[in-house]
Amino acid sequence: GSVVQPPRDEVVDNVSFLFNNLSLSNLTAKRDEMRRMIREEGEPFLKWLSQYIVMKRVSIEQNFQPLYNQFVGQIDNVLLDRFIKEETFRNIRILLRSDKRQAASNYNERQLLKNLGMWLGSITIAKNRPIIVQDLDLKSLLLEAYYKGQQELLYVIPFIAKILLSCAKTNLFSPSCAWIRALLKLLAELHNEPDLKINLKFEIEVLCKELSVDLATLPVEGVLKDTEKLVRVPQQLSDLKAL
Amino acid sequence: ELTLLGVTQYYAYVQEKQKVHCLNTLFRKLQINQSIIFCNSTQRVELLAKKITELGYSCYYIHSKMAQNHRNRVFHDFRQGNCRNLVCSDLLTRGIDIQAVNVVINFDFPRNAETYLHRIGRSGRFGHLGIAINLITYEDRHTLRRIENELRTHIEPIPKAVDPKLYVADFQLVED
Repeated sequence: GSVVQPPRDEVVDNVSFLFNNLSLSNLTAKRDEMRRMIREEGEPFLKWLSQYIVMKRVSIEQNFQPLYNQFVGQIDNVLLDRFIKEETFRNIRILLRSDKRQAASNYNERQLLKNLGMWLGSITIAKNRPIIVQDLDLKSLLLEAYYKGQQELLYVIPFIAKILLSCAKTNLFSPSCAWIRALLKLLAELHNEPDLKINLKFEIEVLCKELSVDLATLPVEGVLKDTEKLVRVPQQLSDLKAL
Repeated sequence: ELTLLGVTQYYAYVQEKQKVHCLNTLFRKLQINQSIIFCNSTQRVELLAKKITELGYSCYYIHSKMAQNHRNRVFHDFRQGNCRNLVCSDLLTRGIDIQAVNVVINFDFPRNAETYLHRIGRSGRFGHLGIAINLITYEDRHTLRRIENELRTHIEPIPKAVDPKLYVADFQLVED
């Protein structure tokens, strides 16, 4: 469930003031203040706080994601980390399941998804933690989007590209690791599709450049041509029939 | 060319001695990415910046009596996001072109329309969404109406809760 009991107004205002004034130079002081609040307010507050951080801050204020990531790291609370990760996946799933027919005009939703993708990469891949299939199946998601069409690709390709940008920050999940390489190969195959939108081709090219991968050297294995496989991918996007 | 399009403008009636308290309330109620706070004199810029830093704000300040290279440095660091809020006097001539600034506060209300436009206006045809909040004292009340008329714009009294859609980029309620 998404409905989390908010703390007292005064606590909400304190949190809002804290995040409005958070910066690298006061990180330690603000961390201590936040730890104090967490001690006083307990676990229900942690749930609300993680929802606040994901929905009100990281998904919107993309420019301060590295700062918020560092802040959460300094708070160093296992439960908070877990709730934030769950909340990130929850919001991603909601956005993936939303109606995609207006994708071209629904800039906001796509931007939110991109921001959450960048955030997800930074709390998982960049920290040498995998994204497990039970939470989010990236490869199937690409196949499903290709199968469902242009609108879905407009959401999914930039989202996955933003997640994979974090591969530049880890040795474990570098472009040569099997998991990442399979995704890059699939992106290269999509890049080869003659009718893929030019801005989506750019997204893939930018990603490869950031990861120092030569797009031309990635083998195209015809995964997209395997229609038997395509129709059997698990559905993570909105169901066409349900719309 | 500066425009007020996309900027929702509010005012709040205050007494001079309530201004800092009012600023505190705004910073506890609004969702601010980065903000710029304007004062009418270099002295008031320094006093306010000092005061609110003590209160736990993240802020830098610039004013017209600082050397140009120093000003450039501070403005650059602010643009980089090294701090969240900037207190300043009137020296920006091009309008605010920092995308992350979603809240502008006139801690002191300007004396003429041109200054108001330079503080609040956005450059380019499509200004990013933002709100401007004017702290208005009893003495400012006629200036407020005059500037409103000269710029053919509307400055509304601030509501109890400001709709995030007006100034929070890409704001959308995600519900299960």
